[in-house]
Amino acid sequence: MMSLASYLIISLILFVVGLMVMISRKNIVAILLGIELILNAAALNFVAYSRYVTNNLDGHIFSLFIIVIAAAEAAVGLAIVIRFFQIKETIHVDEATQLRN
Amino acid sequence: MFLEFLFISSAVLTVSCALGVLVVKNIMHSCVFLLGSLMGVAGLYATLGADFVAVTQIMVYVGGVVILMLFAVMLTGGTDFISRAQNLLGLAPSMGNKWTYGMGLFVGVVFLLTNIKLLMGLTQTLPTKTINNEFPSTVTEIGHLLVKDHVLAFEISSVLLLGALVGAAIIARPRKQN
Repeated sequence: MMSLASYLIISLILFVVGLMVMISRKNIVAILLGIELILNAAALNFVAYSRYVTNNLDGHIFSLFIIVIAAAEAAVGLAIVIRFFQIKETIHVDEATQLRN
Repeated sequence: MFLEFLFISSAVLTVSCALGVLVVKNIMHSCVFLLGSLMGVAGLYATLGADFVAVTQIMVYVGGVVILMLFAVMLTGGTDFISRAQNLLGLAPSMGNKWTYGMGLFVGVVFLLTNIKLLMGLTQTLPTKTINNEFPSTVTEIGHLLVKDHVLAFEISSVLLLGALVGAAIIARPRKQN
């Protein structure tokens, strides 16, 4: 039961749910939550392949770097969200039309 | 036996909490469901023998990123709370409507079906290695790899974190009224 395919299916479900969160939510913070789910799916795939296919720890290293980059992305993204809220007084994504035209 | 129990409970926690992030209407509850999902992924890392990655996942994601998200929700929920006094925080209509949910469901189902088709072909061609059920500690070897083979990426990630820290502080700081 614990095989590569089960981990890949769990990771696929995580990715699809993250994609659906990103598409269906209109709240900028909720979209960031979807991005976190997608990054977790990718990192889980790396570690699963590292255990079941290759024999080295390079997948673990890559997963650690994904975690680092996700932390940096969350910090900058939430700073942008807070700045956007200071300007527009909302975090609805349809209000972000300042660069249109 | 314990390993299978850990695997099943972590998988159920991960998938159910991810679905909770998708369907729940309150943004605060959504963040808490994300926390559960990340804890489940940490458990899956533990069943894969990646102890260092599991602990880092808990420390960085559960202790850092989700708390940051909760702070952002609290800092940006203010006028929603005042202007729509009937609804509590997060019941705002900005969480999506029927049209966006239908679009998301369509894209998700198409993506799921195509990837399951791909996975069915993939799992039959991959070599199935015999796995022993002993988990040696990976911390020493990860430390050696980080300062030998991957030292450039290690240093670049430190510069990236510094830039993200300074950039986030500069972007979010309150401006002078002009």
